[in-house]
Amino acid sequence: MSIPTLAVADPPHTAAPPTAPARTPRRRRLPNLLRWISPVGLLLLWQLASSSGVLTEDKLASPTKVLSAAVDLAATGELGDAFAVSLRRVLLGVALGAVIALVLGITAGLSRWGAVLVDPPVQMLRTLPFLGLVPLFIIWFGIGEEPKVALVALGFSFPLYLNVYAGIRDTDPQLLEAAGVLGYTRWERLVHVVLPAALPQTLVGLRQGLGVAWLSLIVGEQVNAQAGLGYLINNARDFLRTDQVVVGLVVYAALGLATDAVVRAVERRALRWRNTL
Amino acid sequence: MAQHVVRVRELVRQFGTRKVLDNLDLDVRRGEFVALLGRSGSGKSTLLRVLAGLDREVSGDVRVDGTVSVAFQQPRLLPWRRVWRNVSLGLHGVDGRAVADRALAEVRLSEHAEAWPITLSGGEAQRVSLARALVREPDLLLLDEPFGALDALTRLAMHRLVEDLWQAHRPGVLLVTHDIDEALQLADRVLVLDEGRIRAEHLPPPRPRRHADLAELRDRVLADLGVENHEAA
Repeated sequence: MSIPTLAVADPPHTAAPPTAPARTPRRRRLPNLLRWISPVGLLLLWQLASSSGVLTEDKLASPTKVLSAAVDLAATGELGDAFAVSLRRVLLGVALGAVIALVLGITAGLSRWGAVLVDPPVQMLRTLPFLGLVPLFIIWFGIGEEPKVALVALGFSFPLYLNVYAGIRDTDPQLLEAAGVLGYTRWERLVHVVLPAALPQTLVGLRQGLGVAWLSLIVGEQVNAQAGLGYLINNARDFLRTDQVVVGLVVYAALGLATDAVVRAVERRALRWRNTL
Repeated sequence: MAQHVVRVRELVRQFGTRKVLDNLDLDVRRGEFVALLGRSGSGKSTLLRVLAGLDREVSGDVRVDGTVSVAFQQPRLLPWRRVWRNVSLGLHGVDGRAVADRALAEVRLSEHAEAWPITLSGGEAQRVSLARALVREPDLLLLDEPFGALDALTRLAMHRLVEDLWQAHRPGVLLVTHDIDEALQLADRVLVLDEGRIRAEHLPPPRPRRHADLAELRDRVLADLGVENHEAA
């Protein structure tokens, strides 16, 4: 599946940050280009296998076929519509999940009673294979948008909750003590000490959660969808259009990468206080 | 009754069966600079925490009359707030930026007002911590070995700075330290804490003080601390 490859995309990019001195541009660019040799080679191999008839189109369409299918789907507007529907599901689910995770995580992190009451049930629910809840969700929410959004929200909220909770609990007690002596109000302690202290961990949770969110969407859309990328893929499957199936998968992957890039940009901005050395 | 900013009587602080502070009496007058010397484990940091209100598991009579601020051994700045915000946060009903800028000018860090704390050196961070403590215009300033982690040259510069700031603002100061020279140089009164009580009190000569003036007193304080003096023996 496309989502787990997200993390693999990181190292070559982070190894050469844009702020790095450009003393040896040749040496820096060469390895990056070298890294493209084998992916492009595999792509060529795939094309060769298709053209020579080793790989038949009912198993897997050739890269050029996939490309032209993408162009066609985009031209008819099908791809754009499916894209918009799926993106909307993820955004709604993530927003809903974020509210739940933040409220629960902050409650559990800040108060002893919050931790006692909130954490045990969340930890228990976490052990459920939540993708297995699809049948229940269909019974509860029907087959419209709700079960898909709910599944995304559920998948997204667990990693975020865990990291928010851990982040708040890890707040340096020395800073809290100083804040107390310096006359911070409770609100100031929350806004200027506890929440910023928990932010790095929270952003880790956000990235993990988004990975799970896309996965949840794909599973949710496979089961029963009247629109969206999953619907497009299922339709294509019924007509053995492997080219269109691959187009759908590539778009999933691109969306996953795009949201990850957004979070990384947010991270750079929000954590700039520790990136200035 | 506003003569004393600190008045402590029969203070006891126990950890388990061990009395870290044992029937301790202490007075600090307004505007007075008191240094508290002691070996590690003598209870000096515990006493400071009690006065700061960070430790309330005590018996006895502890009166602190007025506002208190603390500069800790580690600067304890919020790494995610710029330097000037670190100074002004927690102040209410004032123009935080203006107040912070004035305080930073006093510790000669004006050009770092917009910096992130992580970019400061140890001495600079400690000066921010001092500015942050002073900006609250405390009646009692508690200094918990604030120069302990600094190199020797930076420490000397900090001594002068603290003395200047104290002369300018005149808070009562309780400086906890294990550095005798620091105590003798800065304080009106040097107290030696041992086994949870004030064991001795010394009055350094009037200011300005030269190093040579303090040599003899230094030997006596060392003796109180249980350190043998080879030259005298």
